[in-house]
Amino acid sequence: MSVLKANQVKKQYQMGEVTVSALDSVNVLVNKGEFVAIMGPSGSGKSTLLHLLGGLDNPSDGEITLAGQPLSKLSDNAITVVRRRKVGFIFQFYNLLPTLTAEENIGLPLLIDGQSLDKHKAKIEKLLALVGLADRRHHKPDQLSGGQQQRVAIARAFVNDPEIVLADEPTGNLDSKSGTAILELLRKTCVDLKATIVMVTHDPHAASYADRVIFLKDGQIVRELKNETAGHNVQPIMDVMAGLEL
Amino acid sequence: MTFWNHFPFLIPFFLAVRNMRARWMRTLLTCAGIVLGVAVILAISITNDSTLQSIRDVFNEASGKANLIVQSSTADGEGFDESITARIRSAEGVLTAAPSVQAMTLLTRDAQNWQMEFSINGQAAGNRLMIFGVDAQIDPGVRQYELAAGRWINDEAYEAVITQKYADDKGLTVGDDLDILTASGRERLRIVGVIADTGAGVINDGVIAFAPLTVAQDLFERGGDVDQIDVVATPDTANLPTDLADLKAKLSARLGKGYDVLYPASRGQLVTQMLSTYQSGLSFFSVVALFVGAFLIYNAFSMTVLERTRELGLLRTLGMTRFQVLGLVLAEALVLGLIGSIIGIGFGVVLARGLIWMLGAVVATSVNTLTVPFDGLLKSLFVGGLVTLGSASWPAIQAARVSPLEALRVQGRSRTRVRPAVWLSGLATLIGAWSSLYYIPWPRTISFYVGQVSIMLLLFGAVLIVPGVIGIAERVARPAARVAFGNEGLLGAGNVRRSPGRTSLTVASLIVGLSMVIANSSLATAFTHDITSWVETALGGDMYVRAPLPMREQFERQLAAVPGVGGVTKVRYFNVKVAGARSSGVSQLPSEAADQDTIFFAAIDPLTYREVGEMQFTAGQGEPDALWARLRAGNALFISTTVAERYNVKQGDTLRLVTSRGEHDFYVAAVATDFTGQGNIVTGSWADMRRWFSKTGVDRFTIKIASGHTVAEVQENIEDRYKDTRNISVETTQEFKRKILELTAQSFRLFDVLGLIGLVVAALGVINTLMMNVVERQREIGGLRSLGLTRWQTTKMVLAEAAALGGIGGVFGLAFGYVLSHVFVSALNSLSGYNLQYIFALSTFISGAFIALVVSQVAALYPAWKAAGVNVVEAIKHE
Repeated sequence: MSVLKANQVKKQYQMGEVTVSALDSVNVLVNKGEFVAIMGPSGSGKSTLLHLLGGLDNPSDGEITLAGQPLSKLSDNAITVVRRRKVGFIFQFYNLLPTLTAEENIGLPLLIDGQSLDKHKAKIEKLLALVGLADRRHHKPDQLSGGQQQRVAIARAFVNDPEIVLADEPTGNLDSKSGTAILELLRKTCVDLKATIVMVTHDPHAASYADRVIFLKDGQIVRELKNETAGHNVQPIMDVMAGLEL
Repeated sequence: MTFWNHFPFLIPFFLAVRNMRARWMRTLLTCAGIVLGVAVILAISITNDSTLQSIRDVFNEASGKANLIVQSSTADGEGFDESITARIRSAEGVLTAAPSVQAMTLLTRDAQNWQMEFSINGQAAGNRLMIFGVDAQIDPGVRQYELAAGRWINDEAYEAVITQKYADDKGLTVGDDLDILTASGRERLRIVGVIADTGAGVINDGVIAFAPLTVAQDLFERGGDVDQIDVVATPDTANLPTDLADLKAKLSARLGKGYDVLYPASRGQLVTQMLSTYQSGLSFFSVVALFVGAFLIYNAFSMTVLERTRELGLLRTLGMTRFQVLGLVLAEALVLGLIGSIIGIGFGVVLARGLIWMLGAVVATSVNTLTVPFDGLLKSLFVGGLVTLGSASWPAIQAARVSPLEALRVQGRSRTRVRPAVWLSGLATLIGAWSSLYYIPWPRTISFYVGQVSIMLLLFGAVLIVPGVIGIAERVARPAARVAFGNEGLLGAGNVRRSPGRTSLTVASLIVGLSMVIANSSLATAFTHDITSWVETALGGDMYVRAPLPMREQFERQLAAVPGVGGVTKVRYFNVKVAGARSSGVSQLPSEAADQDTIFFAAIDPLTYREVGEMQFTAGQGEPDALWARLRAGNALFISTTVAERYNVKQGDTLRLVTSRGEHDFYVAAVATDFTGQGNIVTGSWADMRRWFSKTGVDRFTIKIASGHTVAEVQENIEDRYKDTRNISVETTQEFKRKILELTAQSFRLFDVLGLIGLVVAALGVINTLMMNVVERQREIGGLRSLGLTRWQTTKMVLAEAAALGGIGGVFGLAFGYVLSHVFVSALNSLSGYNLQYIFALSTFISGAFIALVVSQVAALYPAWKAAGVNVVEAIKHE
């Protein structure tokens, strides 16, 4: 069953007198429980695609359907509410609120939805345990390491039981050890929470954790690779990337 | 860049202008703060100078070319024999001497509806028609008369020349009759000419008619008396100050003790003296507005430096020295200060027009000249530039400390920690300022200036304390924000603590602005309360009977016989000079006294006065019966608290006055509250007035209604009997009170305007801070929007942050306003000698709280709109 569908999606930007095509007739289908990575060289349109999939931006043409709902038919407010309730976001730079504790940052989407955190204590507990930060619940972001902050961000992404989680270079700001731990965690959520994850990355190692890798070049999908072997086989991914960058 | 290659020393200015353009919104807001601060300083300077100049102009125009003026030394308006004119004319160095007489009256047709109007100086100028009797041949050589129609008067003829303004107001023209009231009834003068509203035409606000001297003397039963002689010196004498001073001394010696020989400039001393306290208060408020502007500038430059940390690090990497970086930031401050000051000067002139109009209403004088003092302009430019440079200096030093490594870092954190030393020094400043105000007995000559500095230090201390309490305050504000704004309130209020330095300054500026408004309002409340009490107690009675000309004393008996009248008492006011004061055996005059001080003398009948009212004696002076008995016994005075303060005299001391029989010591029987003439008044018995000042005639009868009768009934009875025959006006105490309270309210309105300008500057600070916060948290806002925060929720979050700022600023502003109110009341008491009591008015504080919240919400509208409009995609890419 598909959770997210992009049908003939185009995105163009006007840069002065020049029209730049960031995406050109892209079709993507993500099924429930899948972990999909989107890769491509710089300027290939991967972040643009992620933003469109999350309703953060509007396509110039084509349709994005999220949990059965075509986004083009919704107002800005309605898209925002869909984002709030059905999508989880993980950013490269974490984007935690410095004035809130780890626990409060995790519950932030609930607060935005007008709910009291007290009512969701058990869920937040579970997520803290999942990301291994139960003993850091009262710490503020400036009291946590980069890896710990990203784990808080991951827990936050799942607090509203989203249909899909979109991750934009989640390991881009971490050292390799922390990054691996994050990727392990993402993989774990896929299994334990039956989450559906779409991750943009330029790192073949990160992409190797995904079930499927979509390759973009110059705004078009040029290749898809299924990771059927266990053990994170990076080589095939690197080969494709090398070919794209030539 | 080619141009700058030739002038490399100007490159910092080039970079400064570029930076200002790139951050145009912040530049605009910062500039607005400087503009308002400078505008207010200049506007008050212009207003004060123009008003004083206008008042001086009136006296100068009245004197025309005269280099000296001869008056009676008693200053009580009784005049002197004109025969001394010949003695003056015969003195060496005198070119001519022009005698004149002045009398106040009304057109007969105006007498029916005439009511006394008041100003801060007493009776309003132009309330009655002045008949100025002059020597028709000589006077045009002294005063300037610009004929607009008709001709000049001839000596001995019953004719007059009026001003264009009066002619237009009254619908009179050449050939009409000036039908006026005189001591003996109605008289007519033929209008033969109209003069322009310049020169002598500005006297008494243009409500003046010039008639031949002998005719004026005849009409007003002055015999051979004149009120003043204007002396024009020969050109040789006039051109040399030392020679003129010699002539002055010679004339004084020749004429003897009963005459004063003065420079024209020293006239109007009583009027300018009464204004001086008021004007000093205005100046002080204007300085506070600039003080608030300084916070805005500091905050803006701090943020600029923070935003440009990487850029500054890059410049350092490329070889710019610390000193050059310092110069870069100061160059921007200089450019901004200059632009702001220049615009501020323009705006200040515009603002001055409005303030002059308001002050003119208070002093009841047409202030026709807008005097832009050159030193005021320079001062404003200098102050604007200095304040900007001063406020930007610490951010400039911080900028100079940025290391080249900053170029390689991601955007630095905005948290500006505030060390405990800051708020501890704030506490110390508060304690020091408080001690200075209440516990250190400063010498009188400097106490006013020290008081102003102490109040500024109080404000500064409050500002420094804010960082120490902002954390606790935010925790208290957060639940309230949640109630008002939901969960968005939690997010918004929490942001208040993130930049304690920046937030503290914004809150501090709100505190200063709000506390000044509250303190001014409290002062007005105290004043209104006390003046109401004084009107009801001391002036007493239920109605006042007045006439354009002094009334006969015998009229008192006739009034007493009117049905419904329970009691009647009479009052006469005139000027008197203070020659000295003796306190505990020590003779003294205040060091700032100009030869002799002129104050008011109120002559009352001690027997009948108590039937209608009672003096408000200060405490601890004994039983009122004994005090009144002493006044009745003669050679005694009740003095006002202002006079007591000014001359440092108390009950039992003596005050020496210049009388028509020479200087005489009067015993101070008691000190009492009196607001007449801004408190520059003494009260003596009717018998003493007749004995020492040879005066007769009544200015006002105060009437108490007998029980069982109404005010309206008795008013009608009196008017039916006497309005037409005696041209009286009857005014109830309620009407009089209303006028006085309206005048009081008008007087404080100017301060309200200045206080509100301070709040506007504080609001600009709120806008600036919130805009900085929005810009700084672009990525965070983008993240929140990604998580599902709608645009409206984003707006609410920013509004909640502003409400938290406004709430914290409001609570502290109200508290500090309460403290400052007490300080202001004490300060005014100390300056003026009044004995005002602080009155807590809940409405003032409720209004203050409302203002704080409204200001913060209105100021937040634009930043909230910007935050809601943040492009999510751009924001999450933002570094």
